[in-house]
Amino acid sequence: MPPRAVTKSVRKTGGLFDGVKSNVEALIIGVKYFIDPKRMTMFYPKEYLEHRPGYRGFIVLKKEVCISCAACARICPSAAMKMVRVSEVDPKEPAKQRQKQYPVINYQRCIFCGYCVDVCPVEALYHLPFHDVTYESLGDMFLTLDLFQKEPLRPVEKEGVPVVYEVDETLGLVKRERKGGG
Amino acid sequence: MSISEGTLGELRSKGVEVRRIDKEYYEIFIGPQHPGSGHMRFRVKLDGDIIVDADPDIGYVHRTMEKLSEGREWLKITPLVERMTIIDACNITLPYINALEKLMDKRPSTRASYLRVLLCEMNRIASHLYGFGIFGVFIGHSTAYMWGFGDREVFVELSEILTGTRLTYTYHIPGGVRRDMPQDFPQMVRRAVRYMRSRMPEYEKIFLNNPVIVTRLKDVGVITKNRAAELGVVGPTLRGSGIRYDVRLAEPYEVYGEIDFEVPVFEDGDALARTWVRVEEIKQSLNIMEQAIDWLERHRDEPVIPKEDYDKLPKLHKEVYEKSGRVKLLPAQISMKVPPGKAVARGEAGRGEIFYYVESDGGTMPYRLRVVTPSARNAIVFKRILPGHRLMDLPTVYGSIDYFAPEADR
Repeated sequence: MPPRAVTKSVRKTGGLFDGVKSNVEALIIGVKYFIDPKRMTMFYPKEYLEHRPGYRGFIVLKKEVCISCAACARICPSAAMKMVRVSEVDPKEPAKQRQKQYPVINYQRCIFCGYCVDVCPVEALYHLPFHDVTYESLGDMFLTLDLFQKEPLRPVEKEGVPVVYEVDETLGLVKRERKGGG
Repeated sequence: MSISEGTLGELRSKGVEVRRIDKEYYEIFIGPQHPGSGHMRFRVKLDGDIIVDADPDIGYVHRTMEKLSEGREWLKITPLVERMTIIDACNITLPYINALEKLMDKRPSTRASYLRVLLCEMNRIASHLYGFGIFGVFIGHSTAYMWGFGDREVFVELSEILTGTRLTYTYHIPGGVRRDMPQDFPQMVRRAVRYMRSRMPEYEKIFLNNPVIVTRLKDVGVITKNRAAELGVVGPTLRGSGIRYDVRLAEPYEVYGEIDFEVPVFEDGDALARTWVRVEEIKQSLNIMEQAIDWLERHRDEPVIPKEDYDKLPKLHKEVYEKSGRVKLLPAQISMKVPPGKAVARGEAGRGEIFYYVESDGGTMPYRLRVVTPSARNAIVFKRILPGHRLMDLPTVYGSIDYFAPEADR
């Protein structure tokens, strides 16, 4: 059946009985959840969320794969990614130096849209499944080429327990400790 | 002590706004520091407790999105415009992509269309629950706030699994979507749908049928059928006034024409009716989600990328798509040129009809992009409907039309 508009009406209320009944119903629900609450609070940093692999988090460069096409820098909607020119040893002719461009990222601007990862024609960029990393100063958020190749340390992993949220039929989101650990 | 006319004239010449204040009225300012769901201000004139005049002072979060778009490539506009309504990002960006597809003469595959509809409905529920929570805390019912935000998390989590991020999905690209759903996604969606269905009666008991709430909402902010048409309000505000209008119904986009669902309409036109519209819409969105996920599961082998596009893709792109369902972009798409022309597209976002006008002069950026957002059209309600109410009804009216300031200001 195709979509259609249906006129509905608000339940007519009135009278003492109806008022008392609705009040009591509301109170029963309130008391029910007061005694048996549904909680999904995560006690960060004692616990931390383990995202699924497809999560669009921090971005890491695989320098040896990069072909310096600059597609990532061109597609970046917030101009967070820029190309830098470096001179390095040419792997084919070790005696020679060559000039090559690589992307670097500024996490002050990055919006984690993932366009750069998707546009890379050689899959030289990949997402990490988290983005709770802190930097001491704003300047540190400009990653240099060396830092951009390293997976950033997630401080919470040292002290916390990884948890995942699962959708449950009766409880909504349920927090579970991730199986397997590590 | 009064200021002389000469001083006033001097002030006026310096560009200072000077106006006479009626002595018998009390003027108060509500906002602009986030009175509800964003920065906006009300200048309310009170006679005792009765609102005589309400002036919504909008524009605090105006970000010149239309102008900014003129300096961005086509693909980069999606992350920009979805920042209008971050909580409803999927619905808000879809018409832009639809308009772009009209210009480029491209059609998404049926599977991509169903994925779009699925995410749109998840987003609509999350957006309604958000509005519901804000509304609850406005009128002092903090349980509704906690419940709304807690249950919204279920749909935000689902969206995260589908798109890779909680709110700013950037999911649509011209001719499709950026990801296929994971293998175990249908079960999760079905569990979430069953959970939310079992939850709706509880919402009704604790909030909508609760006599305390009914007393606050009933016959408050009444917009009659004629008045609603005259003011040009949209979305749940319009349907709460008894007008049977929904873009999904009037001009079905994507696959909405093939899906079996109802558009709930309530006749009363008061705050309670508008709240009921949203609650009934959540129920219908759950139906749509179920139908969409059923279709997606039955047609697992159908591709997200249309066949003729898929054949042209490089080998690596095909490999990534087969392995992880990720649709990679082509570097040529960054500076793609769109044929010159004009296109309009509209869609039904959580708060009402969103409209885009896109004009291309054949370049890599739009010549003009015009956005008309539902909140901008609903803001008139404050000016026209509030006078005559008591001050305590202001949060009720504000919450019941689910006004979202960043969306109106864009």
